[in-house]
Amino acid sequence: MSRNVTRRVAVTALASGAVFLIRKAHGQVVWQVNASRCVNSRLGEVGVEACNLCTSSCVVALSAVRAVNEYSKCGRCNICPAYFNIASAVDEKGLPSEKLCPRDAIARKPIGKQDPEDPANNFYEYVIDEEKCDGCGRCVMKCKEPLGLGSITLQVRYNRCLNCNRCAISTDCPKDALEQVPLPEALKPGEARPTV
Amino acid sequence: MLARSPIAVLVLLLLLPWQALAQAIEYSRPVETAPQADTIGGGYKTPEVQRPLPRDYWLQVFDVVLLAAAMGVSAWLVLKRRSRRWLMGLAIFSLAYFGFYREGCVCPVGSIQNVTVALTDPRYSIPIVVVATFFLPLFVAMFFGRAFCGGVCALGAMQEMVVLKPVKVPRRIDRALGLLKYVYLLLAILFALKPAIARDFVICRFDPFVGFFRGTGAPHMLMIGAVFLVGGMFIGRPYCRYLCPYGALLNWCTRLARRGVSITPHRELDCGLCNDACPYGAIEKMRAVRKDCLYCARCYASCPNEGERARARESLVTVGGGAK
Repeated sequence: MSRNVTRRVAVTALASGAVFLIRKAHGQVVWQVNASRCVNSRLGEVGVEACNLCTSSCVVALSAVRAVNEYSKCGRCNICPAYFNIASAVDEKGLPSEKLCPRDAIARKPIGKQDPEDPANNFYEYVIDEEKCDGCGRCVMKCKEPLGLGSITLQVRYNRCLNCNRCAISTDCPKDALEQVPLPEALKPGEARPTV
Repeated sequence: MLARSPIAVLVLLLLLPWQALAQAIEYSRPVETAPQADTIGGGYKTPEVQRPLPRDYWLQVFDVVLLAAAMGVSAWLVLKRRSRRWLMGLAIFSLAYFGFYREGCVCPVGSIQNVTVALTDPRYSIPIVVVATFFLPLFVAMFFGRAFCGGVCALGAMQEMVVLKPVKVPRRIDRALGLLKYVYLLLAILFALKPAIARDFVICRFDPFVGFFRGTGAPHMLMIGAVFLVGGMFIGRPYCRYLCPYGALLNWCTRLARRGVSITPHRELDCGLCNDACPYGAIEKMRAVRKDCLYCARCYASCPNEGERARARESLVTVGGGAK
């Protein structure tokens, strides 16, 4: 008898706990890189080595984090510091001879109205190949102010992300830049959540 | 000699800035704002940025439904059918689905930490699926015992497969080691309670088998997993009995259960064979200790009376089938 009473109390307690949590729970929660915290994209840290923990820490073979070029924010420069290694020697076309990406994941093509006389006068589009990018962050580091406009950021690709309960990157990240947010919030284009 | 070196220095001085120019460009950003489609001209349209979506939501809900269904089947197979063979089938399915296919995440064991954080940190978002994953097995345990441990938990199933030659751990050592899981539970809660920057989900970090499920993992964790599997050949389900923090919670809930694995002189024989068959030390004085019972149904499989009943059932089936 007393055990029945205890059980009823315990079941009620557990159920109310569950109801309390469900009322504040969200439908779908995903990991997101907060660009204003990520070492590679946050302002103020220039000239340091890019942080590549997103590549090395992720439990997925090809990291679930990749660099994304938000085209609407891209300067479409002739010489892009994220595409070229701007410290390398200049070749005969007047462009740096080396690329920055170690996996050659960025493609460069002229867009819009072409100036046949002076290719430096053209706009260029930089497309990052999702299959090649492993999220090492080098281009992100170079794209930010003052060299670039900061159009490239590291983002989680949700088709690869296992949504680990404890994201391995988040544990290693020195700036705690990975956070769990409700899915609709994570899909808002190009918006970084304010740093708290 | 002396005359030559200043010249050399002069030549070098002349060369250096020129060389630097030849080596790399003087970079300056040509634009201050991003040019938009109308500036770029030539019919250019800004392309869409690819944003891959996560796994469909209904599939996540399906996982929870499957979890509930599997626990129901586990309870039915053990308490009603008393069939170890079918239970092993369920365990293999769970290991394949929750373990290798879903890659071990999210599981009730790890969800302890999410629930802890959600209860204390108002900024933390917890998915409904995780809340359900945490509470369902506890509710089931309050009525039917640890049905989750038997055929559903992937970590348990993994260890269940390797039990080869289990030794009886002396009762006192067994009890003492069993206390470890409460310590582990406390540690996991403490680490989850830390502020976001220092928070750590230790249960997931030191999950011994998730590395196998994913095919990758830190070498030391794969090693620990292998040690658990090899050790598990001789000591039945060491992680479940001595470390699993969720086991601690299930243990408490099971104390309230009205039903569960029971060995009675009425239905069984009191011959003690089940006592020898139980690799988990969950049979004391020929009675099942429900809070420690991991729902493996070995006791029923070893019971001569049960075997008799099963044979009777089967012969009925064959007779019925043969008559047709």
